[in-house]
Amino acid sequence: MSFFTEANARTAAEVIARYPRPRSAVIPLLHLAQEQEGWVTRDAMVEIAELTGATPAEVLGTGSFYEMFRFHPVGRYVVNVCTNISCQLLGGEELLHHVEESLEVHAGGTTADGMFTVEEVECVAACTEAPCFTVNYRYFHRADPDTFDAVVDDLRAGRSPLARGAQGDDGNLPAHGTLGRLRQHIPDDRRAGVVPPEQADQEPVWLRTAPSTTSAADA
Amino acid sequence: MGYFRGFAVTFRKLWEKRVTIPYPEQKRDKPERLHGRHVLNRYEDGMEKCIGCELCAGVCPANCIYVRGADNPPDDPVSPGERFGFVYEINYLRCIHCDLCVEACPTEAITESKLFEFSFTNRSDAVYTKDELMVDGETGRPQQLPWEDWRDGEDTHTSGWMRATSPSGSAAYVGKVSWSGELGYGIRAPEQGRSGGEANGDDEEEGS
Amino acid sequence: MNDVGQSVEITVDGRTVLANPGELLIDACERTGTYIPRFCHHPRMRPVGMCRSCLVEVDTGRGPALQASCMLECSPGMQVDTESERTRKAQAGVLEFLLVNHPLDCPVCDKGGECPLQDQTMAFGPGESRFVEEKRHFEKPIPVNDNVFLDRERCILCDRCTRFADEVAGDALIHFQGRGSDTEVNTFPDEPFSSYFSGNTVQVCPVGALTAAPYRFKARPWDLEEVESTSVVDSVGSRIAVQSSRDCVLRFQGVDADAVNWGWLCDKERFIFEAYDHEDRLGTPLLRGDDGDLAPTGWGEALAAAAAALTDVDPDRIAVLGGARLTNESQYAWTKFAKGVLGTDHVDAQLGDGLPADFVLGLPRATIDEACTPGGIIVLLGPDPKEELGSLYLRLRHAVVHDGATLIELTPRATGLTPFADHSLRVRPGEAVDVVRAMFGEGGTAPIGGVTVEEAQAVGAIVSGAAVGQNRPVTVLLGRQSLAEAPGTVVDAALVLHDWIADVRFLSMLRRGNVHGALDLGLAPGLLPGRVGLDEGRPRFAAAWPTTPATKGRDALESLRAAADGEVDVLVLLGADVLTDVPDHDLARRGLEGAGTVIALDLFATPTVAAADVVLPATAPTETDGTVTNLEGRVSIVARKVTPPGTARPDWMIAVELARRLGADLGISSPDDVWAELSVVSPIHAHIDPEALAVQAREGILVSGGPALVRPAPLEVPSHDKNSYRLVVTRSMYDCGVLTAHSRSLAGLAPVTRLAFEPTDFAALGVAEGGRIEVRGPRGNIDVVVGPDSRVTKGTAHLLFNQRGVSAGDLIEATAAVIDLTVVPV
Repeated sequence: MSFFTEANARTAAEVIARYPRPRSAVIPLLHLAQEQEGWVTRDAMVEIAELTGATPAEVLGTGSFYEMFRFHPVGRYVVNVCTNISCQLLGGEELLHHVEESLEVHAGGTTADGMFTVEEVECVAACTEAPCFTVNYRYFHRADPDTFDAVVDDLRAGRSPLARGAQGDDGNLPAHGTLGRLRQHIPDDRRAGVVPPEQADQEPVWLRTAPSTTSAADA
Repeated sequence: MGYFRGFAVTFRKLWEKRVTIPYPEQKRDKPERLHGRHVLNRYEDGMEKCIGCELCAGVCPANCIYVRGADNPPDDPVSPGERFGFVYEINYLRCIHCDLCVEACPTEAITESKLFEFSFTNRSDAVYTKDELMVDGETGRPQQLPWEDWRDGEDTHTSGWMRATSPSGSAAYVGKVSWSGELGYGIRAPEQGRSGGEANGDDEEEGS
Repeated sequence: MNDVGQSVEITVDGRTVLANPGELLIDACERTGTYIPRFCHHPRMRPVGMCRSCLVEVDTGRGPALQASCMLECSPGMQVDTESERTRKAQAGVLEFLLVNHPLDCPVCDKGGECPLQDQTMAFGPGESRFVEEKRHFEKPIPVNDNVFLDRERCILCDRCTRFADEVAGDALIHFQGRGSDTEVNTFPDEPFSSYFSGNTVQVCPVGALTAAPYRFKARPWDLEEVESTSVVDSVGSRIAVQSSRDCVLRFQGVDADAVNWGWLCDKERFIFEAYDHEDRLGTPLLRGDDGDLAPTGWGEALAAAAAALTDVDPDRIAVLGGARLTNESQYAWTKFAKGVLGTDHVDAQLGDGLPADFVLGLPRATIDEACTPGGIIVLLGPDPKEELGSLYLRLRHAVVHDGATLIELTPRATGLTPFADHSLRVRPGEAVDVVRAMFGEGGTAPIGGVTVEEAQAVGAIVSGAAVGQNRPVTVLLGRQSLAEAPGTVVDAALVLHDWIADVRFLSMLRRGNVHGALDLGLAPGLLPGRVGLDEGRPRFAAAWPTTPATKGRDALESLRAAADGEVDVLVLLGADVLTDVPDHDLARRGLEGAGTVIALDLFATPTVAAADVVLPATAPTETDGTVTNLEGRVSIVARKVTPPGTARPDWMIAVELARRLGADLGISSPDDVWAELSVVSPIHAHIDPEALAVQAREGILVSGGPALVRPAPLEVPSHDKNSYRLVVTRSMYDCGVLTAHSRSLAGLAPVTRLAFEPTDFAALGVAEGGRIEVRGPRGNIDVVVGPDSRVTKGTAHLLFNQRGVSAGDLIEATAAVIDLTVVPV
């Protein structure tokens, strides 16, 4: 009946309470929904709309602006291969061909076992490390077909491929949609919505860096 | 005496070539740009070219054209696109054959033939309906009306009249002829007198 | 619009121009004669700067720069150049970009000929396209609801429709989706744009992306003729442009009347014209022959039959019902005929679903603008404006959402305004007066009328000014909250509000087209034209009218009761479908059967007309010249655009003809004659004449003044039995009414009603959703389909009036103060 699992429904309520207006929670809740299912389902959008007082059309409209929300099922791992200029010059397209051939799927498609979704992407901002591909947004730099095969082997075998060079992660590669394993809990006095924005006559307490000398009217 | 002077002209002319011809047994060759009655053309696949846009009716200085559009039935479209000419009527008691409708037509649906015989005995016959104006669905030839006396080849001269106005209204424009194909004829050659078959203006038709 | 503060001096193309403070540059320029191209800018919506067409070179002291003039407020010393090379190049460039993906299917497109994109491309655009690549393609067109089609290829993403849906209508069911060149407007998959106001998006669309089904491919702009008129679908009196081609009305468009509808229309106002053009319209008089069947006849025979029936009848045995949809002129003619010639006062334009006429006229009246004053307080003691008075709902919503007005609801069921209400008191039907008393500290401390005393007093503090400061005008929106309650319930509550709140004003929500004109012109018992009672007005009418009734007559329900008892010889129905519209169907049936001769003037062969003896076809509003009076008392012009079907005649002419056959001259040979006579007999109409109306056509002319406040006797409401459900009957925008049912685009939108309970109440019934139960009411036991509805209040049951499913009229007993239903155990 309801889309969110019990635990996620509690998280959703907490997320909504962080904002002065429930509608502000649309994007965090879309993340939460994507974490639960791997992609944003229709039911998820309807429920988010209900929770935030928006319409489903607004939720879809807001979510579809962002590349990271998927509105169609994707595999457990989303492989993005860059074919923009730096990567292209250094073999990005060959890499993509290899990925397509080895996984037997065209760019944009998902493997039959639901493990991988392959996408061709524009620049992923790693031109110095070209060619480059990402798996669930974790980078694999200066990649060649062998790197990719090794990563696929690791993932198929249930091992983490991240030791092979991804930066800034603890060595585990979670399923698509997973945001983090530590939920943030915001203390009450640091919440944004102490007063609704239209009633705020001064900057939020947590923004204040020095004793206030100017009034809001001068700002 | 004066009596015979009068006959002098008669006798003199008696031996000259006659100006009149015995119509309808014999018909004159028609000038290149004769504006006869209209026909509504079809594309080569038999679809009607008319989309019911009413531009012909809007431009008509004699207010003789009545057009109404309608939604194309999606499973059996009459014309390409969303809209087709549902009603098409021309009142030939009013038409002055100025051909502005032909120029206004964005799809070359309406053109004028060289058929000029209008003979009707009541007013409602003077209003040609879509059924009468539309070319035949098999051959692409005009419908022969009861009072029309056709000679060989007369009915084939139904289009070829070229649009004279440039898309941007520039007077210097000399049009590139870009006909669409017609049922029974394919792409027809333009009539003579303007730019001929090749593009000799530097203006392009609008991209579409 | 804003006159407060000092003007701002700016320079536009070398001319000095005075702008109002806070005025947008694009508006200031347009007001002073410089048109800047625009697509997204709309004067009734907030600026977004989406389309960038209005770029002009502006120098605010830091050198000239291109700025979007729709996002820029005028500031002192601003130097604007709308014709510079840079401006021209920027505007042409933006247009070229807009046309990159815009298909050039103008000949097919319905907007072609009245298209801002065409016009502005001609005026400001580059002239020729350099774009030869393939444009983007979408499936075209897709329906976003039953009446509106969306062609995404043509859309230029100006955000007008989506802004309207979100900002004005509050139904954000269409939204931008995707990003960049994939952006499109669309609904949520399989969730249609089910808004009562969807037609407005078609009107504001600056290209042909949104088209309305009733007008699709019907005509081109250059063969449309147009007159400005007033909508008579409901009593808001929205200004409309009636557009026709070849003597056939093809489209209604909203006209921006600042005091009334701001250019918006609800879909019922917009698409109702289809009914006027329906092939079922009556075009010839009908007469019941000796064989008992209605047969077509000529006007002479029909009028003779009607006149014969009216000749030598005791005035006390004649009743005239209906007339709320007639023009003012026709109403005056009929009042004069009924009261001045026939001499009966059993005349009522309302059909038992309104409020006592003399009471409404005696209240201090508010205009829509006064009700929507920024920061004002609005008390809703009436029906749901979203369902019954669509364009008024948009004004009220704007006042509450954007202008800081405070809304308080005293209704038995949630309304369309509930999401914006500051306080919603869910009043138990019939007990509004107790709740209102509790608001002002009268009565005990126990919960009353379904509301706790604390809640009530919190609201009381707001409306009396104690909680929010003084000088906030209070307007009460007054109308029948539920057709299953006697009108006395809201009348009593309104009187308490009137006595407790200083300077309170009332905006009547009586809904039928020109019902306020009918009250003003005496088409109600005990009243004469000019908002005067019989005794007070009699001296004025002595000269012009042959007779005036001696005593106050019966209202509609009383007349029907008298008819049922065989006390009515002639029943005249002025467009009144009593079998459908009178809340108590049993009474209407008995009344119609019991009446002697029934003379009906109507547009359609309604069930009531089928029971009439003489049927006279009348003209529709698009076929009639005249005026109407809206709920504020604003008189505005209704204009004839097309010819009526067959030999249908205006209602006033029928009154004149009948009077002539009875040997009386009404002195009316054209609608204008009515105004000449009214200026003599009705002081409140003295400032109105056809010339003045023509000058002030768009805003109309307000009629004010009225009799002293009438205080009807308080209504006794039986106390609520805990085991019963109190019935609430409301209307929805689309119902089975004759006009909606004959509008192709609207007929299918009418919902199917079922007896709805609050969800926990419903669970306690132990029936599945859509199941049937038997309920006992004052009309006996009835088998009904039931369902849950979260908008319904605990302890009540709700039905929609005049819908398929359950017939509410069969449950209502007109004499009862409230209807209590008990569930019959299986």
